[in-house]
Amino acid sequence: MSGPGVGWYLIVAAALFGIGSLGVMLRRSPLIVLLSLEIMLNGANLALIAFARQHGDLDGQIFALAVMAVAAAEVAIGLGLIVAMARRDMALDVDQASALRG
Amino acid sequence: MVTGAWICLLAPLGGALAITFGGPWISRRTAGSISTLTTFLAFGGALIAFFGLWSRDAEDREQLSTAYTWLAAGDFQVGFEILVDPLSAVMMLVVSGVGGLIVWYSMGYMAGDEEERRFFAYMSLFVFSMLLLVQAGNFLLLLVGWGLVGLASYLLIGFWHKRPEAVAAAKKAFVMNAIGDATFALAIVLLVWNTGTLELLGVFGEVDALSGTTVNLVALGLLGGAVAKSAQIPLHTWLPDAMEGPTPVSALIHAATMVTAGVYLLVRAHPIFEAAPDIQSLAAILGAVTLLVAGLVALVQWDIKRVIAYSTMSQIGYMFLGAGIGAYGFAIFHLMTHAFFKALLFLAAGVVIHHLSDEQDIRRMGGLKSALPRTHLAFLIGTVALVGLPPLAGFWSKDAIVASAFARGDALGWTLFVAGLLGVLLTGAYSFRLYFAVFQGKPVTVTQETGESHHAQHAEGPLSMLVPVGILAVLSAIGGLLSIPGVWQPFTHWIEETGEPLVEATARQDYLTSAISVALGILGIVLARRAFLLDRQLVSTPSAWRIFERKLYFDELYDALFYRPAAALANALRRRVEEPVIERSLDEIGSGTILASGGLARVQSGLLRTYALAIAFSVCVLVVVFVAVR
Amino acid sequence: MVGNVLVWIVWFLAAGACLGSGIAVVSLTNPFYSALALIGNLASLAVLYLLLAAEFLAAAQVLVYAGAVMVMFVFVIAYLGGRADAPWAGGSPVMQTAAVVAAVALLVEVVVVLGLAWGDDLQDSAEVSDAFGSPAAIGELFLTDHLLAFEITSIVLLVAAIGGVVLGTTHEKGRP
Repeated sequence: MSGPGVGWYLIVAAALFGIGSLGVMLRRSPLIVLLSLEIMLNGANLALIAFARQHGDLDGQIFALAVMAVAAAEVAIGLGLIVAMARRDMALDVDQASALRG
Repeated sequence: MVTGAWICLLAPLGGALAITFGGPWISRRTAGSISTLTTFLAFGGALIAFFGLWSRDAEDREQLSTAYTWLAAGDFQVGFEILVDPLSAVMMLVVSGVGGLIVWYSMGYMAGDEEERRFFAYMSLFVFSMLLLVQAGNFLLLLVGWGLVGLASYLLIGFWHKRPEAVAAAKKAFVMNAIGDATFALAIVLLVWNTGTLELLGVFGEVDALSGTTVNLVALGLLGGAVAKSAQIPLHTWLPDAMEGPTPVSALIHAATMVTAGVYLLVRAHPIFEAAPDIQSLAAILGAVTLLVAGLVALVQWDIKRVIAYSTMSQIGYMFLGAGIGAYGFAIFHLMTHAFFKALLFLAAGVVIHHLSDEQDIRRMGGLKSALPRTHLAFLIGTVALVGLPPLAGFWSKDAIVASAFARGDALGWTLFVAGLLGVLLTGAYSFRLYFAVFQGKPVTVTQETGESHHAQHAEGPLSMLVPVGILAVLSAIGGLLSIPGVWQPFTHWIEETGEPLVEATARQDYLTSAISVALGILGIVLARRAFLLDRQLVSTPSAWRIFERKLYFDELYDALFYRPAAALANALRRRVEEPVIERSLDEIGSGTILASGGLARVQSGLLRTYALAIAFSVCVLVVVFVAVR
Repeated sequence: MVGNVLVWIVWFLAAGACLGSGIAVVSLTNPFYSALALIGNLASLAVLYLLLAAEFLAAAQVLVYAGAVMVMFVFVIAYLGGRADAPWAGGSPVMQTAAVVAAVALLVEVVVVLGLAWGDDLQDSAEVSDAFGSPAAIGELFLTDHLLAFEITSIVLLVAAIGGVVLGTTHEKGRP
């Protein structure tokens, strides 16, 4: 193949995942949280495709495609939630959405 | 013939069930009639069985009849089987005959009691249980009958259940009987373990093959059961208290039948006892000790029924003595005659008590000879029979046992002989003390004591009470004539087919013993009369009086030995273990759960970011785990 | 040889853009800029996918993710207007430190594992044909081995669409 080996891609994927998780844990706006979630998902996709390339097996790519579809669905719902929150004049702040407190 | 035996067994059961299911729809009198009639029907069945046996040859007189096999495991089989042989035929006749008379009597005695139906149901249950006991063909069924009579005794002693003394007495009887039941059951376990069968005849055939220790333990277990059921020392303290029950109960259960079950067992299982001669001698010794102790205690009792109860204890001591030295025929003969005159005494005492409106203290009785002439005659006959003056029944049976002790000859035999004779002296003394106190002397009417005039209203008693008393009086008079040594001994020969006696007195020994015992009996009567005329008691030293009155402190001994430690242990367990550990731990489980869940609930903060952090950390840990596991 | 160097250069550029835009997404305060940064992230990922012989997926990434999903994001941000502003704020310092520690730890772990495994498992890549990652190959797999996944994915999308409608509906009388 020449070029970077699978390992390099995996490092990038792990870094993406870590950056995304930082965003989820540190930001208070639900929009940014959703965006960070997208980054995490993409990191996972990259890992899948890298392994698919390494094994020569297309199953990894199929899985990545399914992940993409699910991510799209999840974004739709998440954005719907945010819009619903905005409509009800709730503050767009995940720290204040703690009605599930036990 | 075996059908007769089955009728005998099942008729009282049918009666009990009929009364139970009849419930409030049958009148009280009907319940009494059902009970009486079924008991006499049982007597009829017993007669059929008896005559059937009599018509056969001597070798053919053991009949086993199985109704169904209850348990069959490999070679071991046990079922509902009855054994009809000379011994069980005699016992059937005694139980159903005397029982029938007593149940008839109680129709008059218990008339008007509110729970009369329950009484007659229990009486029929008892008769059935006792018949089951004597007819059982295997040890298991015997134990069933054994337990059932204990149950019936408990139910009947505590019949007037609103009286706390009656309830306590019933419990005491049941618990002490349970001790005997336990030893009996252990003996049965040993038997089945070592011989593989529980059938009476099967076991007796295998006895020789058993080791010495085994057979001794089995005999000891059986003896324990017999001692408890027959109220011998040391398991005797329940019998005087059992007098709390109605008088017919005392007559039937605690004089004529249940307490004689121990003697029956000793005679029935004689092959086992003969293989364990030490235990058999122990039975004789216990009988002798009881005979004397009971006689002494009877000298100081004030309750008319208790005197008769101790007298019963004493006479059963004679029977144990007889069975212990191997005079099986005479032991059973004394069982039969004792059933006659002791039942008679109890029933006559019942008439007295009934007449005096439930007064039982002899210090408040006297001079009833004129008020109750027929009862007086019956009571006198019974008392003389008890002391054993010829030609009444007790003479022939009791003296034969003492003479057998004489015939035995060794140290034990002589000791038993002397004890038996002393017992006759005591019997004369206490029984005539009772007679004089109740029937002779200044008439005390109830008016003198309580200021009310009941006396004139009560007649001597209804016919249902007087006729059985009369029949029993006749039997006490002539019943002994079934065994005249040297002349005619059909009864003992009959019993001896089931058990060869180990000792037999010569005619000379018989006559000598009889002479001495009659003399001692008359001496006892004379002493009692002298004390009565001088208005003194026979036991004059206060310390002796106190010891006898407290029944030799047996009750206090058992209380200290068994009850106090058990109660202390139970209380200590309750305070130290039950309350702090068990009860509080239940509470703490509840409050602890609430505390823990409160703490855990704080994890649910509701904040998204905290959850995300937690997940991130978990993932880190999991990665390490996966890598390490790989 | 030149091709090799070229591949490496392209790789570094794409990877750098990817990570840089990722950091930009997470740290910018204006959500619109964050969305734009994410678009850049997706595009650089598409390049990386191309390098990994996943052509169809690269195209799908651009079309679906960058084309559709991000458009949705931008729509919502536009709708929200000023309310979507996302200043850096809040959270206890402990939690923030812990979050950073967790993310870094994860990265370190992955690097360590890769380092351990590099010698053994990750050396060789399989030989693949030119048709590897082509739409024909993926389509064939979707309709044969992974038919179930295909169908279920479509159901998931349907459910999401319904959910979106439900979330967006307003009821009369002011009931939310």
